[in-house]
Amino acid sequence: MPILNSVYRHREAGRPLTELAAYREAGGYKALESVLGETDADDLQYAFVRSGLRGRGGAGFPMGRKASFLPKDSRLPKYVVCNADESEPGTFKDREIMEMNPFQLLEGLTLAGYAIGAVRGYIYIRGEYEHQARVLDAAVRAAREAGFLGKDLLRSGFDYDITVYRGAGAYICGEETALLESLEGKRGQPRLKPPFPAVAGLYGSPTLINNVETLTALPPIVTRGADWYAALGPEKSPGTKLFSISGHVVRPGNYEIVLGDTTLRELIFEHAGGLREGRRVKAVWVGGSSVPVIGEEHLDTPLDYESLQGIGTALGSGGCIVMDDSGCIVRACLRLASFYRHESCGKCSPCREGTSWFERILQRMVDGDGRMEDFELLESLFRRVSGKTLCPLADGAIAPIRSAIKLFRDDFIRVCQEGSPRPEPMLPASVG
Amino acid sequence: MAEYAPVDLTVENQVEFELDGRRVAAPAGTMLADACYAHGVEIPIFCYEPRIGPPIGACRMCLVEVEGMRGLQTACSTPVAPDMVVRTTTDAVKEAQDGVLEVLLANHPLDCPVCDKGGECPLQDRTFKFGPGTSRYVEPKRHQPKPLNLSHRIALDRERCISCFRCVRFSQEVAQDGELTMQERGARSEITTFSGDPYRGRFSGNIIDVCPVGALTSIPYRFVSRPWDVQNTPSVCGLCPVGCNTELTVREGRTKRVTGRPEPNPAVEEGWLCDTGRWAYDASWSQARITAAVVREATGDRTATLEDAVDGAAALLRGRTAGILVGTAATVEEAGIAADLAGGALPGAVVARMGIPGGALAPLRALPGAQLGDVDDADLVVVAGGDPSAQQPVAELRLRKARRFGATVTGCGPRPHALEALGTFIRTAPGDLAAGVASLAEAIAAATRPVVMWDEADLAGEPAAAEALAAAIAANPAARQLELGAEVNGSGLRALGLPDAGAVLDAVRAGTVDALLLVHADPLDAPGRAAWDAALEGFAGPVIAIASHADATTERADLVLPALTMWEQEGTLVSMNGRVQRLRPGARGPEGAAAGWELLVALAHRLGVVPGYRTAAAAFRAVTAGRPAFAGITPEAAGVLGVPLAAPAQVAGASAPPPASGEGVPLVATRTVYGGAAARRSAALADTAAPAELRMAPDTAAAHWVNDGDRVVLRSSSGESGRLTVRVGDGLPEGVVFAPLGAPGSPTEGVLPADMAPVLVRVARVEAG
Repeated sequence: MPILNSVYRHREAGRPLTELAAYREAGGYKALESVLGETDADDLQYAFVRSGLRGRGGAGFPMGRKASFLPKDSRLPKYVVCNADESEPGTFKDREIMEMNPFQLLEGLTLAGYAIGAVRGYIYIRGEYEHQARVLDAAVRAAREAGFLGKDLLRSGFDYDITVYRGAGAYICGEETALLESLEGKRGQPRLKPPFPAVAGLYGSPTLINNVETLTALPPIVTRGADWYAALGPEKSPGTKLFSISGHVVRPGNYEIVLGDTTLRELIFEHAGGLREGRRVKAVWVGGSSVPVIGEEHLDTPLDYESLQGIGTALGSGGCIVMDDSGCIVRACLRLASFYRHESCGKCSPCREGTSWFERILQRMVDGDGRMEDFELLESLFRRVSGKTLCPLADGAIAPIRSAIKLFRDDFIRVCQEGSPRPEPMLPASVG
Repeated sequence: MAEYAPVDLTVENQVEFELDGRRVAAPAGTMLADACYAHGVEIPIFCYEPRIGPPIGACRMCLVEVEGMRGLQTACSTPVAPDMVVRTTTDAVKEAQDGVLEVLLANHPLDCPVCDKGGECPLQDRTFKFGPGTSRYVEPKRHQPKPLNLSHRIALDRERCISCFRCVRFSQEVAQDGELTMQERGARSEITTFSGDPYRGRFSGNIIDVCPVGALTSIPYRFVSRPWDVQNTPSVCGLCPVGCNTELTVREGRTKRVTGRPEPNPAVEEGWLCDTGRWAYDASWSQARITAAVVREATGDRTATLEDAVDGAAALLRGRTAGILVGTAATVEEAGIAADLAGGALPGAVVARMGIPGGALAPLRALPGAQLGDVDDADLVVVAGGDPSAQQPVAELRLRKARRFGATVTGCGPRPHALEALGTFIRTAPGDLAAGVASLAEAIAAATRPVVMWDEADLAGEPAAAEALAAAIAANPAARQLELGAEVNGSGLRALGLPDAGAVLDAVRAGTVDALLLVHADPLDAPGRAAWDAALEGFAGPVIAIASHADATTERADLVLPALTMWEQEGTLVSMNGRVQRLRPGARGPEGAAAGWELLVALAHRLGVVPGYRTAAAAFRAVTAGRPAFAGITPEAAGVLGVPLAAPAQVAGASAPPPASGEGVPLVATRTVYGGAAARRSAALADTAAPAELRMAPDTAAAHWVNDGDRVVLRSSSGESGRLTVRVGDGLPEGVVFAPLGAPGSPTEGVLPADMAPVLVRVARVEAG
C-alpha cells in the first residue's frame, strides 16, 4: 500500500513547516480556532475517544480514555506533559516532527490542554535533541506572540502556555513517572504506582502524559473529524503511524503508513528499498528494541497493533530495526543488553543487578566462554526478573534477548563454543 | 523489629482478609507487610522503613500473591482490603524471593566475617531465612575501594550497598538536611553527599541504624566487637531533656556503642537519635573524667580511695549545717536522697536544685500536656521561643514530621533557627516575646488539634509572654502544651519539690550554712555564676562535690567524690514532657567511682543515719513516696518505655524576674546540645564542638566598634562574661547579639542571671581579630 502523508502536515506539504506562517498556510491552527470557545471541553475529549487514537509512545493505550481518567473537578491545577524523550533504540519519528513541524505539536498539546482543562503544557525533550529543542523554543515564542499561547487564547478566556524542558539524556525518563520526577528536578527514576499520573502526576497534580506523535495527530482529528480518523485502518487501532526504519536497509528513514494496510515486507522492500544485494532478512525488531525479535517467516504480517501481537511481538514505538544475514544475533543481543544495563536507573534491585548480569553472560558467550547451562540460567533469570520490577525497562531488556535465544538457538550454541569474531568494519561503541 | 510499623489490632472496624488460609484483620490503611508481621508472618523487606516515609517499592523483596491481582504485589505498598486473599508461601513467592536475594547477593562481597554488621544484618538474616542456598553468579564481582569516610563518624562501603535508598530518604525526608543523594545510575549507583564533602548533619548517625546491610558503619565502633560478644541494654539518653530511648552496647564493662532502640519509643524519639546522643559515650573515659577521689589540702591535692574519701566527706560535714545543691542532670534518686539528708543525716540542711527557677511558668505547666509523639497528629504546631534544633535536637525531627504530615508550623522567638523555614515565624525583639505570642493566639484558637511547644528558658525570663501563651492555649480546649525544657532532669527535680538554687545561695550569703555539698551541680558554669563566684569567694566552709567530670566547681571543691555517668549507673530521669524513664547501667565505670546515689547513701551511713533502701529502685520508691507528681509511679510501671508523671512538675510560685536592667544591647543566649559540653569531651564529636562566638549583624557590629574575629567580653548587671570571638553574619537581626551557653569555659554564663531574665550587655573589645 502506498504511503499516506495525511496526518503530519509537513509530510503532506512536502516541506518543513518551522515558520508559523508556513504552518498556518498548510492549515495550521484551524483546529484550535474552531474549538476554542466553540466546542465544549468534554465534547473534544469525546472526539478523541471516538477517533480511536492510541498512544504512539510504545504502550498503545487509547489516548481519549487516558484523558478521561483525569478528575473533572480538581482542587489542583491540571497539566499536560508531552513525552519527547524519544530514546528507544531505532526510533526517530518524534525527532522529525519536532524538527519539521513544531507548531502542529504545539497545537495538539494545546488542544489536549483545552480538553482536560489544563493550565500548562510541558514538553520534556531528551537532552540530546538540542537542535529540536531550539526549534521548539522558537516555535513557542512565535506561537505566544501570535496569541496561540499565553493568556486568553484567541479571546476565548482560556489561559495556556507551554514550557520546553530539556532532559539530561536518560532512557528511563521516557517512562512517564520517571519523566515527571525529572521534570520536577529530581533524579529520574520511576515512581511506585498507584497513584497514577492522571490522579497525582506532576507536582502531585492530575497530569495527562502523551507522546509527541500522539499529540501531533490531534489537530487533523479535529479538522477532519474523529470519524475520518477512526475509518483509517483497522477498527481497534485506526489511524496512521510513523515507522522509523533503520539497519540493513537501502533507504532508512521515517514512513507514515495507515495501520493494517501495509505489511512488514512492503515496509522493508517497497518503502525502505530492500536489503543490500544478495542479503536475506535475518531478524527484525519491529517496534523498537524492547519488543521480541521476529524472523523472515513473519514478513507478511500487516503492521498494526493486533497483528503484531498475534505473532508474539509488538508495534511498540514503530522503530523498526532490520538485520540481514551478515550480522551476528548474539552480538546484537549483547549490544542491546549493554544498552539496558547502561540505562537501568538502579532504583529496583532485579533490574539494576539483572541487566548487568545479562550483559556479563552475553559477553562471555561472545568471547567464546559460554556454557550450555547459561541458557537455563538466562531463562531462569528472565523468569525471576520479568514482571517483578518497578517499571517495564527490564522487561524491555528481556523481550528481545529471550526471543532471540528461542528463535536463533543454533546461532547461540555455535557462538558459545566458538565465540563471535568482531565484525569489520565496526563503529566505535558510544555507550560505556 | 522496628522495621515494621506497629499495628494496633484492638481498634474497631478492622478490615478482614485472608492470610495464608487464615482469617485475620487489621485496621484499614495498614500495609500488608505490617499487617502480616502483626499476625506472625514475616514478609522480608529491605527498602521499606515506615518511619522514613511512604513506601517506594524499590528492593522488590516483599512480593506476595494477592488473588485477583496480576503478577505479584509489593506487600510494603499494598494496603489491606476487605476479603483480600494473600499468600506468602507459594512457589511463585518463593521464586521471587530467591530471585531478588540472588541478584542482591550477586555483587555483594559476602565479607560478613570482617563486617561490623555480621550477626545483626538484615541481609544476612533474610538470606538465611528466605534466600537460595547457593549462587549461580560466576562473573567477577564489582569492586570498589573500601571504605570511604562519608563523614568523620560514618564509613561507607559501597560494595556492600544494596541501594535500598533508606539513608538517602532519611537525609532528604526525615532530617531534611539535603545532604545525601544517589550518584550515577543502574549498577553503578552509589551513595554520596551532594557536594562530595563529608556528611554534615545533626542526625547523620541514624543512617547507620537504618542501613539493612554493612554499607554504613560507625567509625568509632569499627572492628570493636561482634554482636555475640556484647550485651545490649535499653537505657535513656541523659544529655538533654528530650529523653530519647537508647540502646547501650556494652563489652568488657565499657560502652562501645549507642544506637536507637530496635523497639523505639513512639512517644519520644521514635528510634532516632541526635549525633551527640549517639557518639558522646566516649566522654565517659575522656581526659576530664574524674577516676579517683581528690582531697584538696593545704599541702596540695592527693587522691584517696573511695572509702577514705567518703569518710573524709562525712568528717567535713559532721556537725555543720550544709547547703546541698543538686545539678540538673542528677537522677531522681540522687536528688531525692540528697533531699532526705536534710531530714536525717544532715539536719537543717538547705537543699535546692540548679537550673531555671521558672515560677512564672506555673500556668503553662498546669495546662494539658502533650508527649512528643502527639505532635504527629497535630494540625498546628506552634514553637514559642527557643531553638529546638540546638537545644532539644530530636524534637526537630518530630516537627519536620508533623510538617510532612500536613501540619501547619508557626512560631515566634528572638533568634533565627533552622526550623523557621517550615512555616511562618515571627522574629520578636528580645524581651518582647509577648508580642509574638499575641500574634499566634488566633491561629491556636482556630486549630483543631494544636500543640504548642514553648521554650522553658525563654518563657521563664518573660512572665508576660508566659501568661499570654497560657491564656491562648487555655482558650482552645483541644490545645495541648509541650515544654521544650532546658535541663536534663529539670522536671524530675521540680517533681521532687526542690526549691531553686537561690535558697542555697541566700543561705551561703547569709552565713546560715557552713558547708556545701554539690551533687552533679556546677554553679560556676551555669547562668548566675557571677553571684556564685562572689558568694564562694568568702565562703570558709568545706565544699564537697560529687561529680563525674572535672569542671570549674570541682576545681574549687575541697573534696571530690567521683561519680558514675549516665552510661554507667542506674537511676530515673524525668523528661521535659514529664516522662519518667529509667537509666540502666551498661558500662561499669572507673574502679574508683561509684553511682551518685550510692555515694549519698554511704555518706548517710557514715553520718550515723541508715537509710531504708539499698537499691536504686528501693531508693526511688522511698524518695518519691508522698510526692503527688509521682503518685502511682514505680520502677516497674516505668518499664522500658516510661510513663508520664501523675501531675505536672510544678514549682512554688517564685517571684517573676525583673525586667532587663542596665544599659547596652540585648543578649540572646542559646544552649547547645549539638556541639556542647558533651561533644567537647568526646573524641568522636570533637569536630562538632561549638566555638565560643558572639554573633551579630553587620550594623550592630559597627555600632559597637567591633569586627569579625575580635575577642570581646560582655558586661551586664549580673556580671562579666569570659572571652568570646565576634562573628559578623548576614541574616541576623540587627540590634541584638547572640551567644551560646555551654561553650568552652562557659563564657556567656557570666552575664546571665540564674532566672534567665532578659539582659542587656555592653560589648568590650579586649583583642583585635
